[in-house]
Amino acid sequence: MNLFIKNLAKNPLVRFMASLKITVICLALLFILTLWGTIDQVGNGLYAAQEKFFFSFYFLGFGFIPFPGARLVLWVFFFNLLAVTVTRFIHYKLKSIGIIIIHLGLLSYFFAAFVTFHATKETYLQLLEGAGSNLSSYYRDWEVSIWKGEDNPRNVTSVDAKLLKPGFSLQLNDFGLEFHVTQFLTNSDAYLEQPQEGTEYLNASGIKSLKKISPNIEPEKNMAGGTFLLKDKKGELKNLLLFGGEVRPTGLSINDEIVYFQLRKKRHELPLTLKLVDFRMKKYPGTDMAKSYESLVEIDANGLKRQVLIYMNHPLRYKDYTFYQASYAIDKLSREYSTLAVVKNPGKFLPYFACFLTFAGLVIHFMSSSFQKKK
Amino acid sequence: MFKKNFITFFLWVLLWGVCSAQEICPLNAKPPAELKSLKEFSAIAILHNGRVKPMDTYARHVLLQFSGKGKYEKQEPIRWLTGVLFGNPELLEQKVFLINNPEIAETLGIEPEKGRRYSFAQLEKGLPLLIDLAQRAWDIDEKNRSIVENEIIRVESNIRLFIQLTHVFQFAAPHPDFQIQNKTLKKELEFPEAQNYFNFLMVALRAEKLNELTRDLENKENSLWTETEKEAYQLISNLYSWSMYYNNLPIHIIPFFQHETHDWLSPWDTIHFSFNDPDIRKEIYFLSDMYQAKLGGDQIRFDLAVRSFSNSVENRLKREGAGSKYLRLELFSNQLQAFFWAKFLYLFSFLICMMALIKTNKVFYRVAWILVGGGFLIQAIGFIMRVVILQRPPVSTLYETFLFVSFISVFVGLIIERFSKNWLGLIISSISGFVFLMIASRFAAEGDTLKMLVAVLNSNFWLSTHVVTITIGYAGVCVAGVVGHIYILQSIFRPHQQELLKETQRILLGTLAFGLTMTFLGTNLGGIWADASWGRFWGWDPKENGALLIVLWIAMLFHLKVGRMIGALGLAIGSVLGCIVVMWAWFGVNLLSVGLHSYGFTSGLARNLLIYVLVQLLFLTLTIPLIKRK
Repeated sequence: MNLFIKNLAKNPLVRFMASLKITVICLALLFILTLWGTIDQVGNGLYAAQEKFFFSFYFLGFGFIPFPGARLVLWVFFFNLLAVTVTRFIHYKLKSIGIIIIHLGLLSYFFAAFVTFHATKETYLQLLEGAGSNLSSYYRDWEVSIWKGEDNPRNVTSVDAKLLKPGFSLQLNDFGLEFHVTQFLTNSDAYLEQPQEGTEYLNASGIKSLKKISPNIEPEKNMAGGTFLLKDKKGELKNLLLFGGEVRPTGLSINDEIVYFQLRKKRHELPLTLKLVDFRMKKYPGTDMAKSYESLVEIDANGLKRQVLIYMNHPLRYKDYTFYQASYAIDKLSREYSTLAVVKNPGKFLPYFACFLTFAGLVIHFMSSSFQKKK
Repeated sequence: MFKKNFITFFLWVLLWGVCSAQEICPLNAKPPAELKSLKEFSAIAILHNGRVKPMDTYARHVLLQFSGKGKYEKQEPIRWLTGVLFGNPELLEQKVFLINNPEIAETLGIEPEKGRRYSFAQLEKGLPLLIDLAQRAWDIDEKNRSIVENEIIRVESNIRLFIQLTHVFQFAAPHPDFQIQNKTLKKELEFPEAQNYFNFLMVALRAEKLNELTRDLENKENSLWTETEKEAYQLISNLYSWSMYYNNLPIHIIPFFQHETHDWLSPWDTIHFSFNDPDIRKEIYFLSDMYQAKLGGDQIRFDLAVRSFSNSVENRLKREGAGSKYLRLELFSNQLQAFFWAKFLYLFSFLICMMALIKTNKVFYRVAWILVGGGFLIQAIGFIMRVVILQRPPVSTLYETFLFVSFISVFVGLIIERFSKNWLGLIISSISGFVFLMIASRFAAEGDTLKMLVAVLNSNFWLSTHVVTITIGYAGVCVAGVVGHIYILQSIFRPHQQELLKETQRILLGTLAFGLTMTFLGTNLGGIWADASWGRFWGWDPKENGALLIVLWIAMLFHLKVGRMIGALGLAIGSVLGCIVVMWAWFGVNLLSVGLHSYGFTSGLARNLLIYVLVQLLFLTLTIPLIKRK
């Protein structure tokens, strides 16, 4: 092993990658990207800025200048750090222990970022007081859900909206149905008027047509919509229109059975059921300024029921899941809803570890170098 | 928007309704006799902006809000407020209303004043126009409003508040609307026969009797009404119209508990909603007594009424477990003006440091030490008082972060001086202490600086870890910036003193390392807080990115230095530029008005930030060529 590392350290590519100049270039590029990505949020919103500057390998600055994205820079930085570890830190001396710990801490940050980036699932759960659910919704992802009216419990088949491109078709054998996509819009407006020359669609809410609108800078506010062609066993064709803003599903008679269709935010099944017992908002006396928001929920995990209070800065943690008090709403009937952000992050404690390690390294290094200078 | 406009419109309709029947500001014909002391009155508890505070703090806030000044013609704010509340007619001529844009004054038909401050008497004629302009300005989206439109809204709301304040004690003022000539009626209502003018409260207390007297009048023809009945009817009509007009007024000084709710009401709202409670009724009597005593200039009676009122309120609060313990401490804090004196001492110490550049002297050195140490001590006392009063760490608004950065910078400077003993630490302390306190005092001009926190910030644990640590990090990098300036100046003026330059470089490295460590820790603690409250460690939010920029910048400087790509001078220049990065992270990102850290956004910063950046670039452009030449 030692010999392998020694040989590796002599490898010209590894020696090149261990260059301090690469480190400085990476830091400078990250500085530029962070600043640019921050300012870009003003016009294009957080999501677009994240995708363009931080989650990409490259992008075109001002529409024509190729520029490395933070993802590429971080990968180069990671290999630079690995190469430095192999070539330099391997010959460690006690006086440079702080430096080694700092850089090991940074390597753990890369690992934490990798796990978090690829394994985190962010969803939300909106509950009406008294209501419960074990399904949370994704913020931006949509699906078409299909189920038979007579099923109890409901057996739902879902088609991910990422597949829904015009021309896409699917054979749904359980329903004896061919499902064709004729149109899918990421963000749309729905209209009740029938266009003069247009297909007549079936829709439970009476929506006759959809109009494409430009995507919102906050993608969670997009309202998807689509039109579909359904063909049953007899070859009978039906034109279906679904809109993301609909509350009711559209029920159609397919092969003499009622089948329901709904375009909704993609669901995620939770390992427990949450019921909102009470939502409370406290205000500072004499003002409309909120002092705290809290949701009293009853959780049912494998038949074990207990009540938990979720409030700002005090989430509920269950296995890999964390439930946070995110927002609230009051409808026209004065009913209170609480929205809980649900995050599944198997690597949530990794950044904590990386932070501790790097901070400890910084303290050891700067303290020891200050003493060395004193001597 | 509609709701806000409607409320504004509604309030004005009410006010003008009263005005059309009476005068706009119901001030007394002659000035009430002056009281020697308002010590007791200044300690009355008042709920304002969600916090129970002493009347003295409220007075300071309102006067600052109106005039942009802490005092009016050497008059303490509490004395000015008392004048407004108790109807001193001289107030109409006092120029307290600040209008920053002369064109607004011209539009209102007033000759623009050099001092930009105007009296109510000057503004009164243009009031209908001002209301109309403000109404139109409200209709424009806040983001699209111009400076002038915002100023119109500010001036109009200040005048509205002024008028409302003059109405607060009207229930205790004898008024022609409650004049009784008829002896029979006086007898029926058990009023003294010799008195003709009464106040709202006195008549309201006899409302039942008046109801009795006027109950059957509906069925009686007007021509058959007796004189007694006519006057009784007039009284009850006036009582009703006053009740309708005088509500939603400021000065929330009477706590009100109902079921689980806890609120504070103004005297008028108390009379309307909870006059049946015997304790509350007693408190209204004390307030009425206060008014009469103030009118007559009777100090003992006034203080007694104030003390009885405060005592009753305090007892009720204690009974409900909602006592406010630190009002006296806040009063003391207001009077001490700790941050003002600390700023003064730092400035004085800086002047001595400058004198020492000409001639070093042991006495000067000691005096500078004492001044910086004294300033630090007073500032620490000010901080401790804020912590006790607010029951939270004193670092949550932009104003507080400036105070804290100043405090930490002085502390770091003192530590440096303790070891280097070459004036450098004292210069750092006095410059940073003075400059940051100076900036903080600009924010203090916005009013009461002891503010309540939005729900997400309302966590003492995270405030005292993340916010305190990151602010210490800001301070560390700022101190490094000051040292960077000093190194550059030393390189120009003392290029041959290599020992001195090496010592400064060592301090520069130390402060940068301190800044990096604390900013790094603060950023990560912020990540952990974000993880605990929003569900993600890192979200590329502008404020998070700002902190990351500082870490990246200093890490880059260290790597450049280690790789010998820059020398000590490069490090010094980098530190000066590092200060710009800190300013961007500290409040520059707030100017973007996006992100989750949208609390504490302050307008008017962009220009100052730009000036700061330009000054720094100018400094570097002018100084660096000089070093090369030498």
